[in-house]
Amino acid sequence: MKTFKTGGIHPPEQKLTSGKAVEVMPHPQELAVPMSQHLGKPAKPVVKVGDEVKKGQLVGAADGFISANVHAPTSGKIKAVKQHPHPGGQYSMTVFITPDGKDEWLEGLNTPECDWKKLSKEEILKRITDAGVVGMGGAGFPSGVKLSPPRDKTIDTIILNGAECEPFLTADHRVMIEEPEAIVKGLEIITSLFQGQVSAYIGIESNKPDAAAALKKHADSKGIGIVVLETKYPQGAEKQLINAITGRTVNEGELPFDKGCLVHNIATAIAIYEAVCKNKPLIERVVTISGMEIHTAKNIRILVGTKFSEIAAFCGSMTEKTNQVITGGPMMGKAQFSLDVPVTKTTSGILFINNRGLEKSGEKTCIRCSRCISACPQNLQPWLLANTAQLRDFDTIELYGMANCTECGSCSYVCPSKRELVHWIKYAKTLASKRKQRQSA
Amino acid sequence: MEPLKLKVSYAPFVRSKDSIESVMYNVAVALLPATLVSIYFFGWRALLVTGVSIVSSICFEWAIDKIRKKPTACLDGSALVTGQLLALNLPSGLPLWMVIMGAFVAIVIAKHLFGGLGFNIFNPALVARVFLLISFPAAMTEWYAPFSVDMQTAASPLGILKTDGLQALAGFNTLDAFYGIRPGSLGETSILALLPGAAWLLYKKYITWHIPFVFIGTTMLFTGIFYLIDPLGYASPLFHLLTGGLVLGAFFMATDMVTSPLSLRGQIIFGIGCGVLTAIIRLWGGYPEGVSFAILIMNALVPLLDRWDVSEIKAKKQPSIKAA
Amino acid sequence: MYSESFIPAVASLGSLAFVLGIIILFVSKKFFVAEDPTVSMINALLPGVNCGACGYPSCSQFAEELVRTRNPSMTCPVGGGELAEKLGTALGITMAEPKPVTCVVLCQGHNGNARESAEYIGIRDCWAAAQAFAGTKQCRFACTGLGSCIAFCDFNAMRIENGLVVIDKELCTGCGACVPACPYGVLTMQEKKNERYLIACSSHDRGADTRKACDAGCTACQKCVRECPEQAIVIDNFLASIIQEKCTSCGKCLEVCPTKVNCILLERDMETVKSKKVP
Repeated sequence: MKTFKTGGIHPPEQKLTSGKAVEVMPHPQELAVPMSQHLGKPAKPVVKVGDEVKKGQLVGAADGFISANVHAPTSGKIKAVKQHPHPGGQYSMTVFITPDGKDEWLEGLNTPECDWKKLSKEEILKRITDAGVVGMGGAGFPSGVKLSPPRDKTIDTIILNGAECEPFLTADHRVMIEEPEAIVKGLEIITSLFQGQVSAYIGIESNKPDAAAALKKHADSKGIGIVVLETKYPQGAEKQLINAITGRTVNEGELPFDKGCLVHNIATAIAIYEAVCKNKPLIERVVTISGMEIHTAKNIRILVGTKFSEIAAFCGSMTEKTNQVITGGPMMGKAQFSLDVPVTKTTSGILFINNRGLEKSGEKTCIRCSRCISACPQNLQPWLLANTAQLRDFDTIELYGMANCTECGSCSYVCPSKRELVHWIKYAKTLASKRKQRQSA
Repeated sequence: MEPLKLKVSYAPFVRSKDSIESVMYNVAVALLPATLVSIYFFGWRALLVTGVSIVSSICFEWAIDKIRKKPTACLDGSALVTGQLLALNLPSGLPLWMVIMGAFVAIVIAKHLFGGLGFNIFNPALVARVFLLISFPAAMTEWYAPFSVDMQTAASPLGILKTDGLQALAGFNTLDAFYGIRPGSLGETSILALLPGAAWLLYKKYITWHIPFVFIGTTMLFTGIFYLIDPLGYASPLFHLLTGGLVLGAFFMATDMVTSPLSLRGQIIFGIGCGVLTAIIRLWGGYPEGVSFAILIMNALVPLLDRWDVSEIKAKKQPSIKAA
Repeated sequence: MYSESFIPAVASLGSLAFVLGIIILFVSKKFFVAEDPTVSMINALLPGVNCGACGYPSCSQFAEELVRTRNPSMTCPVGGGELAEKLGTALGITMAEPKPVTCVVLCQGHNGNARESAEYIGIRDCWAAAQAFAGTKQCRFACTGLGSCIAFCDFNAMRIENGLVVIDKELCTGCGACVPACPYGVLTMQEKKNERYLIACSSHDRGADTRKACDAGCTACQKCVRECPEQAIVIDNFLASIIQEKCTSCGKCLEVCPTKVNCILLERDMETVKSKKVP
């Protein structure tokens, strides 16, 4: 079984919802659509308070090269445009829509399926960009940009990431079982954008044999390789996935396309397929609602902009013991400070948990057990990075390979002294880049 | 409804169950067979030495935490392990005030004066043992034979080898030495009792095989070469393996996380160094036993070994940064 | 007798000391660095805290640069006018007098005024908290009270009280080292005044949102703007601010301020700065 070479950990899987079919959640009373649902510059709101919008209508236009369009998830009236808490932990300009209940598509969108093979490459890319498709695995890199790498880079490998290595999350798993055809079509569209011999793979962790079987049926005839990977965190991290499937190593400062690879998420492939073949903008996604403190854990198909509080109510509310609500997985997700935050294009899961470790937390001194070193998939020395970060020595920490850290959290997970290793590294990253900005200014 | 009070912390939100406490208590459990066997062999006096050592270690830890105005960590298991290891390194007849003094040296001087858990350069239990050995050489080498009712002292096999030469060891029984039926300090005698603990630590991944096996391998190889050259002048490597504190030191003291190197390369060099030094001291040194000195000398080199790795990481990065 | 044994010991050690002494003498002559006496004199006058407020990393570098360029516009904000005068006399030039400034906190959201958003558990540092979420208070512009700025203050002039940073005006020298240390931009430097009226709020949220989050937030109600006889108050992006040059400290704005806890704050600064040598 294939896997990445260095490091890795085995957190308890806790995939409570892997056997549960995707439910569709009814439309909420109010939608809060953030303008920043992607990496890069937030979109610019193009609607005013009081405007009537149709489903799929543009409400936020991409602002700059690395940015993405944002569309109305349903038809309704614009109630407000203001700053609002964002699941990323910060505030973002947000367009509030009161749905009118008609759910009317804007004309020309959500058309019957067309044959993408008849479209030109430019048309395909334009449709993907116009639909506001972004990487739905978590980072939210605009797909249109990712699919047009610099001319001098040759892409020979396209990988779809179905590893879903984070505990709890099962959204991609369910999608692979329920919509394998769309995934394969999405992957074919991506592959068609590149010249020459391009091999396509779908990487799936070994704990999802049913997903691998479902995809295999459709993929085999298309020459797409289904690669079953060892169940090990962080198998689904871009660099680790490339290493596991192709054996290539993406070094510090390099991007996947430097090694001829492009990695896309399973959900992104479907979004690309729907954008190209059905002219459907990215306005909904499948989210895993899980954790020990929610009444019924579910996988739900949900409109972007639905608030967490309404989702909790839909899943039978959470218990009083809930002390943390987390977007994304428990390894790399974000704890929320408010339940008013909405689902975005990159929300793969919402976890309601009672984190008992918090009361006992508090960093103890390093006992030099060297577990962080053996857990680090990037071959770094997390203890050293954290110690240097604590000293605020931002020149030296760069020499220790800070930029190479992918913040997967493996080191903090294994640390017996409960040190906040990733947080210290992230802290140093932020302050070092701040200092650089100040120096150049 | 009262709005839910959420707590925010940084990822990851799941952590492994391992903690300093679990690591330390597992080591304590791994040492338990050796402790029990020592009580079986050496009687109530062994129990007394072990008890006094552990209790005084924990008390000193509590007191120094109070003095240093730190949250008290006397029950986190590290003082327990230090006390237990110290007792295993002592002869069963040692006066109790010396045991208490040893615990003081271990906890206060070797551990907390260097900054406390995680910062000590030398293994606290070994520092205490060597301190006692140098201060009270007579009391520290007064070994008792197992099951001796009348507290008869006897020389340890290594001591006999050093003072009387190989010929005096004619009655040496390999299997008895493996079971631990020989004079020696509490924990070092019974190799049989040490092995399950070592296996447990290896299985739970609290230690890796590198340091102990390289350490023991090097000692056996080194003594083996001289045995092959002159079988009548030097003892066999098997004798060196089964006598003295080699197994105890290699599995439980050289592997101490705080005082051993971080990287694989460092650990292997550390193991080789320990092995060579042990053999040299045993073959030609003034003391019959060299394990504790060897580990302490190599402990002093650990910062250097770690620094080597760090400077290599830096050196790898330096050209690329200069070029950019 | 002992006499035979101690003579060689004394002789050998003595000669060793002698040889080493000669080497030291030689090295100190050979590698002697000539130091400008003016620089050391100027250096002695400076506060010597290396706070970096002048733009140089240390006081001695400031002294060197000042002696080299004799630029009268180089000022030490910590020493203030008194020091400028001394430096001027020492160098025989007229130094520009720095305007004494002091640190002000543009937030009054202590635990009694401001509503908490969520409990933060983790690294006790404002920047670290800012990576986890928007802030410990519901107001995203507020002081989090984790006190990263305190470490940057060389003069012990800052402390956290009830979840809000407080400046000790007597100890603050106006060096400004704390200003970039705040991720929320709550700290700023203002010229010293006997009586200063100040809008102690940084919230650019709309009035209703500000009021929901904090009792002492500026809701941009315009009342003070209308009342001010000098037109010294302006509102920009839902936040009022007082233009200190125009303000005559008449206090009319404070009378009309409608928020529960006035967002307008009256501060009294010390009249002159004493250049303090911090031990």
